[in-house]
Amino acid sequence: MTDLDTRAAVTIGHTGGARRGKRSFDPKKRRSLLLTVLLWLCVLYFVLPLWWLLVSATKDNSALFSTFGLWFGGDFSLGENLATLFTVRDGIFVRWLANTLVYSLASAVGATLLATMAGYAFAKYEFPGKRALFSATLGAIMIPLTALALPTYLLFSQAGLTDTPWAVIVPSLVTPFGVYLMRVYAADAVDDSLIEAARVDGAGEFRIFWQVGLRLLGPGLVTVFLFSLVATWNNYFLPLIMLNSSDLYPITVGLAQLQSAASAGGGSQALFSTVITGSFVSILPLIIAFLFLQRYWQSGLATGGVKG
Amino acid sequence: MSHSPALTTPSPPVAPPKRRGASTAKRKQHLAAYLFVLPFFVVFIAMLVVPLVYSGYLSLFESKLIGGDVFAGLANYVRALQDSAFLASIGRMGLFFVVQVPIMLGLALFLALALDTARARGSKAVRLLVFMPYAVPAVVATLMWGYLYGPDFGPIAQIARAVGLGTPDFLSPGSILGSMMNIVTWEFVGYNMIIMYAALRSIPAELYEAAEIDGAGQLRIAWSVKIPAIRPAILLTVIFSIIGTFQLFAEPSLLNAIAPDAITNSFTPNYYAYNLAFINQELNYAAAIAFLLGLFIAVVSYIVQLGSQRRERRERSAS
Amino acid sequence: MRNAPRTALALGSVAVAAALILSGCTPGADDGGTTGPITDEQREEALTTPTELTFWTWVPDIENEVALFEEKYPAIDVKVENVGQGLPHYQKLRSAIEAGEGAPDVAQIEYQYIPSFVLSESLLDLVPYGADELSGDYVDWAWNQVSPDDAVWAMPQDVGPMGNLYREDLLAQAGITEPPATWEEYATAAQAVKDATGSYISNLGATQAGQMIGFFWQKGVKPFGYDGDQTVSIDVNSDEAKEVATYWTELIQKDLISTDVDFQDQWYQGLASGKYAGWLTAAWGPVFLQGTAEGTSGLWRAAPLPQWAEGENVSGNWGGSSDAVLASSENPIAAYELAKFINHDEESAMMLATEQFLYPPQLSVLEDPAFIDLQSEFYGGQEVNKLFAEISETVDTDFQWLPFMDYVYSTYEETMGTVIADKGDIAAALDEWQDQLVAYAEDQGFTVE
Repeated sequence: MTDLDTRAAVTIGHTGGARRGKRSFDPKKRRSLLLTVLLWLCVLYFVLPLWWLLVSATKDNSALFSTFGLWFGGDFSLGENLATLFTVRDGIFVRWLANTLVYSLASAVGATLLATMAGYAFAKYEFPGKRALFSATLGAIMIPLTALALPTYLLFSQAGLTDTPWAVIVPSLVTPFGVYLMRVYAADAVDDSLIEAARVDGAGEFRIFWQVGLRLLGPGLVTVFLFSLVATWNNYFLPLIMLNSSDLYPITVGLAQLQSAASAGGGSQALFSTVITGSFVSILPLIIAFLFLQRYWQSGLATGGVKG
Repeated sequence: MSHSPALTTPSPPVAPPKRRGASTAKRKQHLAAYLFVLPFFVVFIAMLVVPLVYSGYLSLFESKLIGGDVFAGLANYVRALQDSAFLASIGRMGLFFVVQVPIMLGLALFLALALDTARARGSKAVRLLVFMPYAVPAVVATLMWGYLYGPDFGPIAQIARAVGLGTPDFLSPGSILGSMMNIVTWEFVGYNMIIMYAALRSIPAELYEAAEIDGAGQLRIAWSVKIPAIRPAILLTVIFSIIGTFQLFAEPSLLNAIAPDAITNSFTPNYYAYNLAFINQELNYAAAIAFLLGLFIAVVSYIVQLGSQRRERRERSAS
Repeated sequence: MRNAPRTALALGSVAVAAALILSGCTPGADDGGTTGPITDEQREEALTTPTELTFWTWVPDIENEVALFEEKYPAIDVKVENVGQGLPHYQKLRSAIEAGEGAPDVAQIEYQYIPSFVLSESLLDLVPYGADELSGDYVDWAWNQVSPDDAVWAMPQDVGPMGNLYREDLLAQAGITEPPATWEEYATAAQAVKDATGSYISNLGATQAGQMIGFFWQKGVKPFGYDGDQTVSIDVNSDEAKEVATYWTELIQKDLISTDVDFQDQWYQGLASGKYAGWLTAAWGPVFLQGTAEGTSGLWRAAPLPQWAEGENVSGNWGGSSDAVLASSENPIAAYELAKFINHDEESAMMLATEQFLYPPQLSVLEDPAFIDLQSEFYGGQEVNKLFAEISETVDTDFQWLPFMDYVYSTYEETMGTVIADKGDIAAALDEWQDQLVAYAEDQGFTVE
């Protein structure tokens, strides 16, 4: 670490917050019509496919293939589609949703905890080997995780752990980037004098971490948590190769399987609209989570967080 | 492994000098620190280092349907470096990277800058809506775009026909790469935008308030003040894009179902490794491919960082 | 490029030889397991002991047939799992076998994949369990698929003898009142249909190896062979195969046959909208089509495939599955009884044919008037099942497969698929396909004849 030490990918500090407050009340601010139009055109590009998904979830198979894609048409079949979706193969869709929820929550909680502890230690302690360990962590950010999925699978299969939830959860616990983020965040958010004061009061290191550190690390925690949640929620490759029983599939693998079954026929044509409705339902929880938690993740990002 | 300029931290705060019982207290703190990092590194070693080493080990063998496992030295690597399918997939992703990543990051940067000026109506809604695709799994995004691309009933084709443009073919061998670029762009612009936007928000306002008072336009401020200020964040997005691009899997694997004639088994390196392992049953060769791919990504990321670092130094010494 | 694999190959052979000497046995020999036939007592005991079996299949609603089995043998509890259809299913199966854990007792396996599981010694030879006594209850060629030699590797579940489904109305518009009897007539008809209606007489799925191999099968081409040990024969570019390829090349290049990827949304639409005036498909096709093109009910007819020579009557097969017992099963007797029951019990076999619409290889069903005399509205009251029962008897009996069909199909997509989609010379692509297959087989240590 040389002169580069002084530079961070994302500057930390309260300047961001301060500036935001100041500028949003700036009376000289002029609105630009051109910019507004341009921005909303971009928004169309991002939103129209989702709009299509919503519209298509209300159509039955024949309307899907005969009406204009971006507007409602045919009978309003959302109810039937949902009913099929939740009953197909004995309601396995619910099971998939629940699996996804369990895998992502477990991975996200675990990954956040591990990353926070390590990041906190890197930020607040001096210890032999610290630089080497931190360098290894940073270097690992560049290792493509999916390239590791295959050997990981082989190891798990020798240990007889494939086709268990652990095979999806444990590999997702490693987030070198989360460690980096929490180090950056903790260095700034947890004041050394607080730690010293607690020590003087006779508190042990772990009590300090739980009672002083964690409280101050809130937004950083939420950021790392949310992004590792998304990473597991959206993961396809790892569960695809690790799991055999459809009872254990997360929603991504399940939907892909439903889609291939729909294409191959198998006597049940109605599956196309089921797959589409399933896709629509499957993205709702995350979108809702992001909407509700936006205050946290946005402030986490603005003050230091980038990605987990 | 060295660390990158983008990923370094500010100097660790210097602990206040301790006077009494320094050595005992210090030892205690060392112990605590080790205990804090221990759980992470246990998983780190088990899930990252061991598979990496194991992959390297496996790649030194050859496994045949007849004859089983044989030690093969570097034969798998020799084969990989002469394997036109593998090299073509790397080349294809190189093209993908050169074309798609600038478009994606350019759009993300434009949006981030535009939102940062707060001169458009509904900025907050724009930010959320653009970010939304990030919450859509690649599997769903690909399924969805697969329907949107449909030549008969896909809405894009419907509109194109309605305005007399004929039916565009998004799924032919010639256009599938572009169609895939579009899917990935759609998925990740919002994510990159948020990284850049967060960085923009933390630029000290004094940096450009002077310029604003001098009457400099927003474009000029963006170009000469804001973009240089968030260069580390941009570099970060570039590196994530390198990693993301070279390990594309869900997109080709699902598009293969609707366009099997356009998506070859080796369309992307990662998809190739998967097919080698599970269809060709050449697990050891797949391990070599995965290992080479990881090495390749690490090297490219490193070169990009070095380049940017050097450029920065040059600029700093020039100014 | 060639040297490294060759050297490795030599090393491999040495290693194999060494292993053989050490273990003192020949590959393929069934060591361990039961050697003598199963006695009635053993069977009785196995079927009355509480047992849980796992059954991997993608047949929809097969729980109904399984329920019949469980009703008959209440001690046996069967867990049905669908881990995917086709390739994903086999990948999972292989993974589970390799992991040595999590593999099912009984698994659905398409005929062409049986050799690859025989090669890995993953299947149980069913002869000691009495399966060889059942050979007379199935159509010959289907039985040969599960029992290419003395062993019996699986129970035939369904088959796909090929025929010609066509739109009578569209052909009539082109002045064609009889289904084309020869491929020559078919080509002439294709031109007439295109001129009169603008429709393609049928579609050749660009990446559909199964359909093309079915045409080869009809032509008498023997593209693949496997001796059950280490020797394979690969001959996908024989003169006969090239004759078939050239025939299709010409029709495609004249734009009389479309090459859309089949089993895709667009293709479904093509069948429903009359873009294709026909479909050269297997016996599972009629019901499948019925669900796809409801709006054209009554307009379709079924006929045998056109013939290469006038007066001939031969067909090929496309698709079909069997149920095999895995060698790793801890309850082989019960597992065999399950595989047998599903595909042999008259009620269950009938159910497969009439509820899941799988075309039966079981003579009991093929001779049952309740099945073959069924008239189908969709086909204008035609007795479609009877027609395909007749076709089924004309399928060549000793067609074989390679022990690595996953690779065969995936290279088909790469070599043939792209050429067909580009309207290129399919016969030339056969050479490319042949080269890749031979190279792979040699690489994998097979002796290629």
